[in-house]
Amino acid sequence: MTWLVRSAMCALYPRTEGLPGLEDCDVDGFLERFQRESPLLMWVGVLAGALVFHLTPVFTVFVPLPAFLLPVSLLDRHSSRIASSDWYLVRQAIFLVKFPCGLCWGEHPEVRRRLALAAYPQDPGTWRVD
Amino acid sequence: MPHVSFRERRFEGDVDYVVVGSGAGGAAAAVVLARAGAKVALVEAGAWREPEQYPSSAYGAMRDLMDDWGATVTMGRALWPVVQARTMGGTTVVNSAIAIRTPADIFTQWEREHGVGGEGLRDQVWAEQAVLERELCVEEVPVGSRGRSNELAMKGAEAMGFESHWIRRYAKGCEGTGQCLQGCRKRKKQSTNVVWVPEVMERGGLVLSCAPVSRVVLEGRRAVGVEGRFQHPATRELGASFLVRATKGVVVAASVTHSPVLLMRSGVKNRALGQFFRAHPGTGVFGVYDEPVDQNVGATQGWASTHYRETPGLKLETLSVPLELVASRFAGGGVELMKRLGQYRHVAMWCHAVRAESTGTIGHAPFSSKPVVRYTLNADDMERFRQGMYLLGQMHFAAGARAIIPGIAGLPFQLEAKDVELLRNGPTDPRKYIAILSHLFGGCVMGADPTRSVVDGEGRVHGYEGLVVADASVIPTNLGVNPQHTIMALARLFANAMLARA
Ligand SMILES: Cc1cc2nc3c(=O)[nH]c(=O)nc-3n(C[C@H](O)[C@H](O)[C@H](O)COP(=O)(O)OP(=O)(O)OC[C@H]3O[C@@H](n4cnc5c(N)ncnc54)[C@H](O)[C@@H]3O)c2cc1C
Ligand code: SF4
Repeated sequence: MTWLVRSAMCALYPRTEGLPGLEDCDVDGFLERFQRESPLLMWVGVLAGALVFHLTPVFTVFVPLPAFLLPVSLLDRHSSRIASSDWYLVRQAIFLVKFPCGLCWGEHPEVRRRLALAAYPQDPGTWRVD
Repeated sequence: MPHVSFRERRFEGDVDYVVVGSGAGGAAAAVVLARAGAKVALVEAGAWREPEQYPSSAYGAMRDLMDDWGATVTMGRALWPVVQARTMGGTTVVNSAIAIRTPADIFTQWEREHGVGGEGLRDQVWAEQAVLERELCVEEVPVGSRGRSNELAMKGAEAMGFESHWIRRYAKGCEGTGQCLQGCRKRKKQSTNVVWVPEVMERGGLVLSCAPVSRVVLEGRRAVGVEGRFQHPATRELGASFLVRATKGVVVAASVTHSPVLLMRSGVKNRALGQFFRAHPGTGVFGVYDEPVDQNVGATQGWASTHYRETPGLKLETLSVPLELVASRFAGGGVELMKRLGQYRHVAMWCHAVRAESTGTIGHAPFSSKPVVRYTLNADDMERFRQGMYLLGQMHFAAGARAIIPGIAGLPFQLEAKDVELLRNGPTDPRKYIAILSHLFGGCVMGADPTRSVVDGEGRVHGYEGLVVADASVIPTNLGVNPQHTIMALARLFANAMLARA
């Protein structure tokens, strides 16, 4: 199922001339970490959001195919329209996918360099034990 | 053994007072008790991280500092995040440390509506706040740490002709790294894990971290301790159980969402428990400027205005938002979204917090201690909300913005000055807005009437002995200003009252 999430994420944050896309941001490593570290319910929500993303092109670009089978230009139109859907619950479902996208994309050193932001040091992930 | 963290062997301890939660309320109460010579145990659900161990990324902040990854949302018309921390120091670790004295009208309102408060309490709270301001080094954001977003906001307010100010915060020599949300790695912010928790330990206290309390132990109607099981901060696996017995009293300060749930699950009976939840829901408007703003440079929050606190009921502030969160907040997807994100350096986020009158409830999920917050803004509050958006939009244009990004579903992504009236007539459906709740009140409200309140004017749970609540959950109304200064002052007063009774 992770590939479903991955492809929805990469479609929502594609590579452009100006900025790297999620596919340039070690999204596989990120997803492995996110799945392991986030609460199960959050991961289930992201999966559900990705499913909504893939099953709705018929409503946005009027093509009865899952999003992962769409040609690039239609996929981009679908990404744009589904993320701004008039239906609140659909918008929320897509937000669940955009949330990890933002975390992965915004912390990547290359993205940060392009936007004149300092790279983050490694998060220590440690705590006081004594 | 002054600090006990996650462990596989059962732990038992005996103290005079046990305090649950190390945030604004809990740590303030604990240090007062410890300074009086009492043996205190401070029991915190989250891990204890030194500033050098704080994360830098938003991912790390969600994972290491936030309660449930910030995933608690209101169950109501709209699903708005209810943001709180779960770490030693509580929400003081991730907040902006803004310190504002409790407005005088609040005490009058508490007295009129809840039978507690009045001028007597006002004078006591203000006296405590004066002490806190010295102890926590309250100072205005230094000139060199303001950053462009804060300076532009001052310019916008001046151009519109309303009163505003540089924020005063519990931060000593803020360097303007814009990282308050991820914890101050520079040790400038005086969060309770940095100032008071070590002091409790130095004074002979016991600190338990990674130790979510599952139950206040009651003998009849007397609180005699707390128990729970350690939880590993990374894997979330449960460790051994713990029991801390307290001879003189139990202080619950686990936050607005967790304190009512803890009392419910401990078997405390009170009809008002979990009722009268209130908040200051807030959202922001981005301004787009020709010159780079670099909102990440400068104090996370450096400018504010209380000018509209009474009418229509708004607080305005700046807020620098990490790129990661802007990336998911900007509307849209695909190439269009990436183009929007290319403007990051040029955007400034200013926000409002609504002094909302709507009330909700706190409960918990079946067989779980996970809080469930039921809350929807009523029509009057949505009107305030909309007016706040309009004000922020106007302010950006007054400060020279070329466009604004209001983030309202159904409106264009970006608006120009000629379109700002669209905000005045914007939607009143909460679903159209992306808001968050970070200032929370109620759930264990104080009052004189035991049928309408959970605690009395000294934080004592009605009908129980040795059980005090000392956090934001006792606050029976909204405040219209940032709450931490009020919470700390009340907690200190409640702790002093406990000492006086002992
Ligand atoms: C992003 C953000 C910015 C803010 N900025 C400001 C600001 O600048 N100024 C201001 O005045 N206010 C601000 N606030 C609000 C302010 O931080 C809170 O109102 C305040 O910290 C609440 O204090 P509290 O003691 O009620 O709860 P908290 O400070 O949240 O502390 C509660 C503690 O209890 C612990 N806990 C919960 N359950 C258990 C359990 N079962 N067992 C043991 N421990 C438990 C939690 O882990 C937590 O550490 C902000 C809030 C947020 C989210
Ligand atoms: S802006 Fe930076 S230096 Fe200033 S208090 Fe916040 S985290 Fe600390």
